[in-house]
Amino acid sequence: MVGRKNKRMIVLFLIPAMFIYVMVFIYPVLRTFVMSFFAVEAIETPIAAWTFAGLNNYIGLFRIDLFNRSVTNYLTLWFVGGIAVLFLAMVYAVILTSGVRLKKFWRAVIYLPNIISAIALGTMWINYAFRDNDGLFDRIVEAVGGQTPVMWTGPYMGLWSLLIAYCFGMVGYIMLTFISGIEKIGDEYYECASIEGANIFHKFFFITLPLIRGVVRSNIVIWTVSLGTGVFAWSFMFSPTNLTLPYTMPPNYMREIIFGGRGSAVVQRDSGAAASVGILIALLVVVISVVSSLITRKDDVEM
Amino acid sequence: MKKFSRILALMLMLAMVFSVAACNGGSTTAPANGGEAGAAGGGAEYDPQADGIEAGASLIYWSMWSEAEPQAIVLAAAARAFTEATGVPVSINFNGRQGQREGLAPALAAGETIDIFDEDIDRVTGQWSDHLLNLDDLVNGVFSDTDGQPFRAKVNSGLMEMAQERGGGTFTVVPYQPFVFTTMFNKDLFEEAGITSNPTNWQEFLVACQQLVDIGIIPMTVDNSYIPALFGTTVTRIAGSERTLEIFENHEFSDPAILRTAQVFEELITNGFMSPRAATNVFPEGQAAEFAAMEAVAMYLNGTWLPNELREINPDINWGSFAWPSIDAGGAGPEAHNIGAQCFGINVNTNYPNAAFAFIRWITLGYWDQRLADDTWGVPMANDAVWPVQLQDAEVIFASTTDRLPWAAGAEDDPNVTAVIIESFQRMAAGTINAQQFADNLAAIS
Amino acid sequence: MTRNKTIREPVKLKKELKLTPGYLLCAIWAIFTFLLIGWTLAASLVTPREIFGGDVIGTFFERLLRFDLVFNNYRLAWGAQNLSRFFLNSVIYVTISLPLIIIISAPAAYALSRFRFRFNALVQGLTSISMGIPAVMIIMPIFSLATALRMTGTRTTLVFLYIGMSIPFTIFYLLPFFKNLPSGLEEAAAVDGCSPVRTFWRIMFPLAQPGIITVTIFNFITLWNEFFISMIFANDAQIRPIAVGLFNMVQGMRYAGHWGAMFASTVIVFAPTFVLFIVLSNKILTSVTGGAIKG
Repeated sequence: MVGRKNKRMIVLFLIPAMFIYVMVFIYPVLRTFVMSFFAVEAIETPIAAWTFAGLNNYIGLFRIDLFNRSVTNYLTLWFVGGIAVLFLAMVYAVILTSGVRLKKFWRAVIYLPNIISAIALGTMWINYAFRDNDGLFDRIVEAVGGQTPVMWTGPYMGLWSLLIAYCFGMVGYIMLTFISGIEKIGDEYYECASIEGANIFHKFFFITLPLIRGVVRSNIVIWTVSLGTGVFAWSFMFSPTNLTLPYTMPPNYMREIIFGGRGSAVVQRDSGAAASVGILIALLVVVISVVSSLITRKDDVEM
Repeated sequence: MKKFSRILALMLMLAMVFSVAACNGGSTTAPANGGEAGAAGGGAEYDPQADGIEAGASLIYWSMWSEAEPQAIVLAAAARAFTEATGVPVSINFNGRQGQREGLAPALAAGETIDIFDEDIDRVTGQWSDHLLNLDDLVNGVFSDTDGQPFRAKVNSGLMEMAQERGGGTFTVVPYQPFVFTTMFNKDLFEEAGITSNPTNWQEFLVACQQLVDIGIIPMTVDNSYIPALFGTTVTRIAGSERTLEIFENHEFSDPAILRTAQVFEELITNGFMSPRAATNVFPEGQAAEFAAMEAVAMYLNGTWLPNELREINPDINWGSFAWPSIDAGGAGPEAHNIGAQCFGINVNTNYPNAAFAFIRWITLGYWDQRLADDTWGVPMANDAVWPVQLQDAEVIFASTTDRLPWAAGAEDDPNVTAVIIESFQRMAAGTINAQQFADNLAAIS
Repeated sequence: MTRNKTIREPVKLKKELKLTPGYLLCAIWAIFTFLLIGWTLAASLVTPREIFGGDVIGTFFERLLRFDLVFNNYRLAWGAQNLSRFFLNSVIYVTISLPLIIIISAPAAYALSRFRFRFNALVQGLTSISMGIPAVMIIMPIFSLATALRMTGTRTTLVFLYIGMSIPFTIFYLLPFFKNLPSGLEEAAAVDGCSPVRTFWRIMFPLAQPGIITVTIFNFITLWNEFFISMIFANDAQIRPIAVGLFNMVQGMRYAGHWGAMFASTVIVFAPTFVLFIVLSNKILTSVTGGAIKG
């Protein structure tokens, strides 16, 4: 099928994209990779001043409690948040495809939080929803007879609050993809099932779920990938001046050691270690993506 | 393709609408401030040649302030007045703290034209020291606006000493907008509680706290951002400032002073002297809501910038300050405070050092120094300037501080340590760990 | 899409009853979203002290009844801080980047989705991996490069990076759209004497339109809200886009205590995305659900 004309076309079509990949991804990633094995103080340090450090940057990182905590936080957010987001997105997708009225309106509303910048949305969450006693969440807890203040932004609930706020923005996005998957399933499946007397749960577990496995996989990848860059601003909003244990995330830790912390006397900068953090984050994303596609690919249903 | 082009059209339309708006915005704001600059004729009459200002000089100043801040507004007006007086154009890039911290060093390394830059004194003299012009001659020089004295004799000597010390014995920066980190309090609440004199030691402090609690006022609060500074300052009151710096520098957290400090906080917490919201306050919730908006809290260990930060929320607070009290014998007392400042540095590669220094003098002496202090409720640089009324008490503390501690007494130098201090403190404030566990958490830092 | 046409459908009590839990869940989400957004709107129209006083929404209504809303917050936000300039910058960047992203990505996605060739899998793998690479990881080398080329703090660098960062996702997103097009199209075009390149632009590109529009909207939202790259690379105040402007303003207003104005600026920044979303949401969302990703 690939004729000579087509070959020329393929090359022509891929060259601009490949140029971008090389400039924006391959070269920087390789350089960052190399950098992660060198002791480099600052982002502007010339290569001549780099000194080889072997695996010291990596080993050093895992000796730092704060970094380890950032990794635990990140994985917790990925796993628990991922399950919550995929579950909620699926529920809403099923609701919206079940023939409810005002479907377009609901769909727009659920997707809406995704378009608001974290800087704006974060302020709302912290100053309104999570505020002690007179905040929205504490009022709700109080109304149902729970004990307040829950201390949403305190040392115990901190990570969960960040998780709630972050996931709130993601559900709509993931939901859209689920809806697209469900709508591709022919009506006849459901009609047939209805005639057979299946209820909504039967339909979901025996028709919808098996037929949208591929979409689930896409969504796991989308969730994983967007977390890597998306969580940065959120962590930053919850902990605006310095890194704190409940909210710290690897990208934020990385930024801290590239540029130094707040106005402290000793500004510790370590771009070499920062490069190692970058490599580790990227590695995590790649591993998770590969694993999740391996798990779901095996019994993928072709439609 | 039709729909796509419709979107494009919509975007272009938006672009046009906003470009018109942008032009309007630009042209309306400029004259508004320009008029103000004209009124600023109070600045000294200037003879550019007399001070060696280079012919054809123009200055580019990268500033740490954000455009919205009162400091930036005054600096922008001062720059316009400077241009009027000297004919030297000054263009200011207001980067904000974040932008300055992240953008300046790479830009300097890239050889971008920057004549003057500023930030916190520790950062400028530390991280950016390679880019600083030696100012020894200029600082000791006599200029048309220094009344026949050398410049350094005209401005706060303590700060100039500090600048020299940070520069390793030479002057590389000129400080401005100095601050002292001390107990800022609401005088009206103290009065209401019948507290007649400011506490000087811990016993008196606890008595005052009890008096406040008795009338339903929470004595203290803190936001997550200031926990390390509160902690570090308190350690100096127990271990002495020298030992405190050692403890933080060498991570000697098994030192009994750490446990003792934790016990001091535990006492504050269990007696209800520390707001329970200290466990959850994300900056600036504590200072803004509890302290200023609701006036439910009487004291906050913070910088002298606090009245300015809170004045939009509550301009009527009757501000007082007193030195963070002494706690143990052998510990530091009212003579030891974190004193800091922003500071100006001149790029070593500048073509116009004299013009740049003339601009720095313009800001730190006379009319504009006073104006900056007045408009920002801040501390002035010149010896003959008047401190704003909100900082009258702080002026005394400032003058009696002989032991200038670094930021947070070193407790915020290592992000790893900082994070543990914040979390442990919040847990203690939430009532879930005790002083011993607090100390253990710190001792466990690898 | 028969199931979409529910508007004229007569109310069937039994069916609606069965859907009640669904309505309930949707309503909860909607109420919560509106509360959050409503709170911000309210906060942008009251004084800083009232914002921290606890009952923002109550104060808002009190002021509303007295015709005493603090519109000065908006004047402060728009006037004093060059918000208009940041706004214009963002509009320029987005207007230049979005078409270029499509012009580069669509042909690549087409080539990758419809032709077998040796490096196809490699390029597709690269696309997925590139999407997963956090921005923090690539800024250091690019900054050094920009420094060497004396291109730091220029609009060109920014736009280049915006385009670069968006391309992997755009290609990834467009792949299934091209893949799902009927397979005989190219042959038919070839029979008619249409060159492969022309076939693409004249036939395939228009057919993939739903995907192209949707991904452009996604890109718009991403670029409009992007602030990490901009914060590092737009170190000249003149070229700053809106998100960095907002961020700086949020920081500055925090220090200056202009809380009302801070919320006003978040509203100003949020408004265009919101309006665009309201106007186009139907189109965006139907084209997403119109069948992009393989089921």
